[in-house]
Amino acid sequence: MNKLKLNYTSLSFLPFLVCIPLGYQLITNLHFGGFKLFQEFLISAFNPKVDNEIIITVINRLNETILIGFFSWLVSITFGAIFGILSSNIFYKIFNIPNFLYSIIRFFLTIIRSIHEVVWGILLMQIYGINFSIGIIAICIPYIAVNSKVFAEQLETIEYKSFESINQINAPKSSSLLTLIWNPIINTFKNFGLYRLECSIRSTVILGLFGIGGIGTSIFLSFQTLNFRELWTYLWSLAILIILSGLIFKKIKFNNINKTLSIFFIAVFFITILFSFSYFLYFMFNNNFKNFYSVSSLFKSSSDLGLFDFLKLILETIILSLLSTGIAISLPPLVIGNFNNNTSKIFIRIFAFLLRLIPTPVILLSLLTFNNPSLSLAALTLGLHNAGITSKLLFSNLDSQDKRNYIAMKSLGISKKTCWLLGLFSQQAKSYLAYCAYRSDIIIRETAIVGVIGSVGLGWQLQESLSSFAWQEVTIVLIAYSSIAIVGELINGKIKNSLT
Amino acid sequence: MNNTLLELKNISYKYENNLILNKVNLKINSGEKIALLGKSGSGKTTLISVLNGTIKPTQGEVKIFNKSFEELDRTQKRKITTIWQDLRLIEDLSAEQNVNCGLLAENNFYFAFKNLLNISSFKKAHKYMQLCRLHNSIYDKKIRKLSGGQKQRVAIARSLIQGSNILLADEPFNNLDPKLVKIIKNLLLENLDKNNTKKSPKTTLVALHRLDLLNEFDKVIGIRDGKIFFNIKSTNLNKLHLDKIY
Repeated sequence: MNKLKLNYTSLSFLPFLVCIPLGYQLITNLHFGGFKLFQEFLISAFNPKVDNEIIITVINRLNETILIGFFSWLVSITFGAIFGILSSNIFYKIFNIPNFLYSIIRFFLTIIRSIHEVVWGILLMQIYGINFSIGIIAICIPYIAVNSKVFAEQLETIEYKSFESINQINAPKSSSLLTLIWNPIINTFKNFGLYRLECSIRSTVILGLFGIGGIGTSIFLSFQTLNFRELWTYLWSLAILIILSGLIFKKIKFNNINKTLSIFFIAVFFITILFSFSYFLYFMFNNNFKNFYSVSSLFKSSSDLGLFDFLKLILETIILSLLSTGIAISLPPLVIGNFNNNTSKIFIRIFAFLLRLIPTPVILLSLLTFNNPSLSLAALTLGLHNAGITSKLLFSNLDSQDKRNYIAMKSLGISKKTCWLLGLFSQQAKSYLAYCAYRSDIIIRETAIVGVIGSVGLGWQLQESLSSFAWQEVTIVLIAYSSIAIVGELINGKIKNSLT
Repeated sequence: MNNTLLELKNISYKYENNLILNKVNLKINSGEKIALLGKSGSGKTTLISVLNGTIKPTQGEVKIFNKSFEELDRTQKRKITTIWQDLRLIEDLSAEQNVNCGLLAENNFYFAFKNLLNISSFKKAHKYMQLCRLHNSIYDKKIRKLSGGQKQRVAIARSLIQGSNILLADEPFNNLDPKLVKIIKNLLLENLDKNNTKKSPKTTLVALHRLDLLNEFDKVIGIRDGKIFFNIKSTNLNKLHLDKIY
């Protein structure tokens, strides 16, 4: 018998096997208690509430969301660039600074990055209470670390030979550094900057669900009061915002940045740094740190969390990540390949858009109307949301792909599904899997969001420990959560490198 | 009077267990024009990298202006310029910005900043680009959009604008047509000052494969397998010498 050989195409479908245990648990957990509610939720999508009062509320909430999102983006992109420079090799080479500092900064940023903004948000809210700036700070902390990684990766592409040649001119070190890093920094901002603004707005919505403010808070409150028509008004207005911003971002091109615009950007860069520092000082001196002092009891307090329970939570988080990743990888090619006609494609695109649009906690809450809380339900939620994102990428890659193989196979009378699989998807499978490896990094971090709502994993334990001010437990959970994310990032990095 | 500018004493360089330079001894005096001959992989580029301080030899001593490289201050280091075989231009910058990079050493941080924003003066850069017969239509073009020959001349202009005393050039005539080779050769060997007039003698070491240009040099050095086989006046060079290294 021939040996089974797996290629990239089959590897893209293989993770769908996670649906066997997942489906089993979902079926056994099925209940019809809230089926009517779910029906109402779906019907309300076509009948959102529209009156003067809600329109004014929508505008106000969207304004808040945009403001928090924009300021978080501005600060995180600015400091991301600075930390990107500080965590790149080139900086240490030019200034002859010992390399261990580089490793320390990188390690520090990796830890910060490994904790999701929602976790930062919940943590900060517990310490400082709810206010507008907590949202900005909660987003900025991990985003600065994420952005700095992207900037540093771009700076690592500077050829050593270019460094040598500029270094050999023997210019002042600051001039050499600026000349070498200028273009990689500008190019990263051009290619990545606006995408991060979109991410920032999405994160603001998610944080809003936890009470930070903006449209997210309104979505959560209307869900809590089962006011589905109002909920859909907020969701559709958010959809309009995302579509509009997407269209505007597509129009904005930084190909020809003239001198005035460059000077304007530099001025904004320095003003942001100045503003951030002064705001930080203001924040430090004008806040009630009563709760913060309880953090100092960290070393005194004892934890009620047993070792077995703790290991169970870690295992749950890992399984949750694996199941969600399995769905996010395998679902899009399976659905697109099976329903490969123009009408179906439109429906799949709309469905994928809705999965991206509706925040994961809302998806989870709506699924809870007919299924008991479980690890599988949380995994399904996270998997579906991320499948919406991976399918967007798959669609755009397939659209721009050379279709000659597909046409040639079709002319031989081969079935449409086989033509799609071997003539189109097989050429995309490798890059698709590489992107999914990157996506699974994010999935690991997002387990915290569904964990809080769906009562699973470390996310749930974090919420519990925070509510009871059990700071030692909080620290243990955060260390475990961060370690899982860092190990996941290392493994995914290896997979990504082998695929690219 | 001792007018030795560069001196290599018993220099060896090992890379991944391969001996690239093997006990090289060399003296280069002020004003000398030296051609460096040798097959590809004979150690010419490594020798140039040792001379400009980008490679530290595994063994031996390098003296520049009678000092070790570490002892040189920035002004002294600036007196050495290199035209690299692989050019080492900054791809994302325009041709004129790249040439202006040659002026970074004599200017402050603000100049570097203005250069990147395209608001610095390019007058001097344009003058050197003209000398290298670069057409003004390519001045503001990104390096990646230029042809091999144009890139080569941008790298030469960047090097010349530094006005250094010692010029080390690694195969500077690559990608150039015969007419341009003549022009560039004159530029490299007949050192020009700001007013396009001849200046005090400039020391030049050029690694090349063009045997027809050798009579323009004072001395010829032949290198093979990392060892110097001959170091003679160019007028004394004969076929036997060339047979030793090729």
